[in-house]
Amino acid sequence: MRLTVRALISHGRVARRIGLGPESRINMLRNILTGLVRHERIETTRARADEVRFYAEKLIDYAKKGDTNKKSMEMADFWLTEKDLIPKLFRVLAPRFENQSGGYTLMARIPNRENLDRAAMAVLEYKGNPFPPLFPVKRTHELNLVNQLLKGYREEKAKLTTETRDS
Amino acid sequence: MAACTQRTGALARLIQNVQFHHERMFSVFSLRLQAAGSGDKPPTFTPPSKPVILDKSKPEEAARRFVSPEFIPPRQRTAPLKFFLERKDMIQRRRVLNIPEFYVGSVLSVTTSDPHASNNTNRFVGICIQRSGKGLGATFILRNIIDGQGVEICYELYNPRMKHIEVLKLEKRLDDNLMYLRDALPEYSTFAFDVKPVHLSPTQEVPVNEMKVRMKPRPWSKRWERPKFNIKGIRFDLCLTPEQMEHAQKWAEPWRQYDMLKEYDTSTLEEKIYQEVQAELRK
Repeated sequence: MRLTVRALISHGRVARRIGLGPESRINMLRNILTGLVRHERIETTRARADEVRFYAEKLIDYAKKGDTNKKSMEMADFWLTEKDLIPKLFRVLAPRFENQSGGYTLMARIPNRENLDRAAMAVLEYKGNPFPPLFPVKRTHELNLVNQLLKGYREEKAKLTTETRDS
Repeated sequence: MAACTQRTGALARLIQNVQFHHERMFSVFSLRLQAAGSGDKPPTFTPPSKPVILDKSKPEEAARRFVSPEFIPPRQRTAPLKFFLERKDMIQRRRVLNIPEFYVGSVLSVTTSDPHASNNTNRFVGICIQRSGKGLGATFILRNIIDGQGVEICYELYNPRMKHIEVLKLEKRLDDNLMYLRDALPEYSTFAFDVKPVHLSPTQEVPVNEMKVRMKPRPWSKRWERPKFNIKGIRFDLCLTPEQMEHAQKWAEPWRQYDMLKEYDTSTLEEKIYQEVQAELRK
């Protein structure tokens, strides 16, 4: 949940009111999360993407406990409405984020919806997916003079620290 | 005679050297020698040392760990510093007043100072039906029935008036809140004042009393059958029809247990606070 003024004075209510009630909200998020696990990159309204993001990360946290864990299996069974995705969650997504704790998803804002209601839209994806990157990859200018100087400085510093440690 | 004592002394020394190998065989012998050598008196009976039976088949159990629930801060935005400072005050109070481990469902005896009572103290015995509040303002409610009248007293744990808390019977019940005893038959909340405390060893697991209570006829102060209370300690089969029980499930929220936003996992926090409190109390 992002820190906004609304969240700051929310008196502990951190969830958005989506859909027709609490049950409807959870069902909506379930469907979006299932889509996210299937396609690994989805496009929804910004509020829904932001809301589902928390659950997407927590689901990975549960999946990392392994499919023998009873609670994590129950969670996967509840949150993935299409059951053929449960093996994918445990065998593909959980190993992908093994060395990572948190920050499994990426959200990007995209222009408002044109056709329907001009709702604010966003793209939500699991990191490490096979699609082309959302943002252009940063080009590194290795041969730039400043970079070369910095590289030399780092090497010298490393050498100095090893010398002081040895002596 | 002198030669005799000398000889016995040498013998005793010899025996002491050998004793290491055959302790049992020689120990009685040396005792008898000493008794005989001390004079003409008949040998006095020396009882053998009491055997200490150690059950080595069972592994040595560690004392059970318990963090009083008021130490764990609620899930909210308040700065942790507030709870840290309160924890310090609570530990300071605990150095003076022994606040024992107890749970909802335990029978307690509480002595408080009361300026209006004779000899300035007031003692009350009852079952703990609720523990609430966090930090210095933590409270617990004792319930008993006195002269046919239900009495509930809400005590503040860290109140300076609190003099002595004694656990008469340490046990848990099926629920974490026994407010439904108000609507139960009076026999379930009647406790005598002159009961001796039941001892429970510190390594033993706290027993769970799986008693189910019978209720007074409805209406009750709350609809205890609703899933929100999640009560297991009531004999609903005696007071409600199956249709009514099924109707109560209308208010169930089965998705709630899967909502990760509502989870509050305090296990790591509890461990940290336990270490902190133990370190402070040992000082």
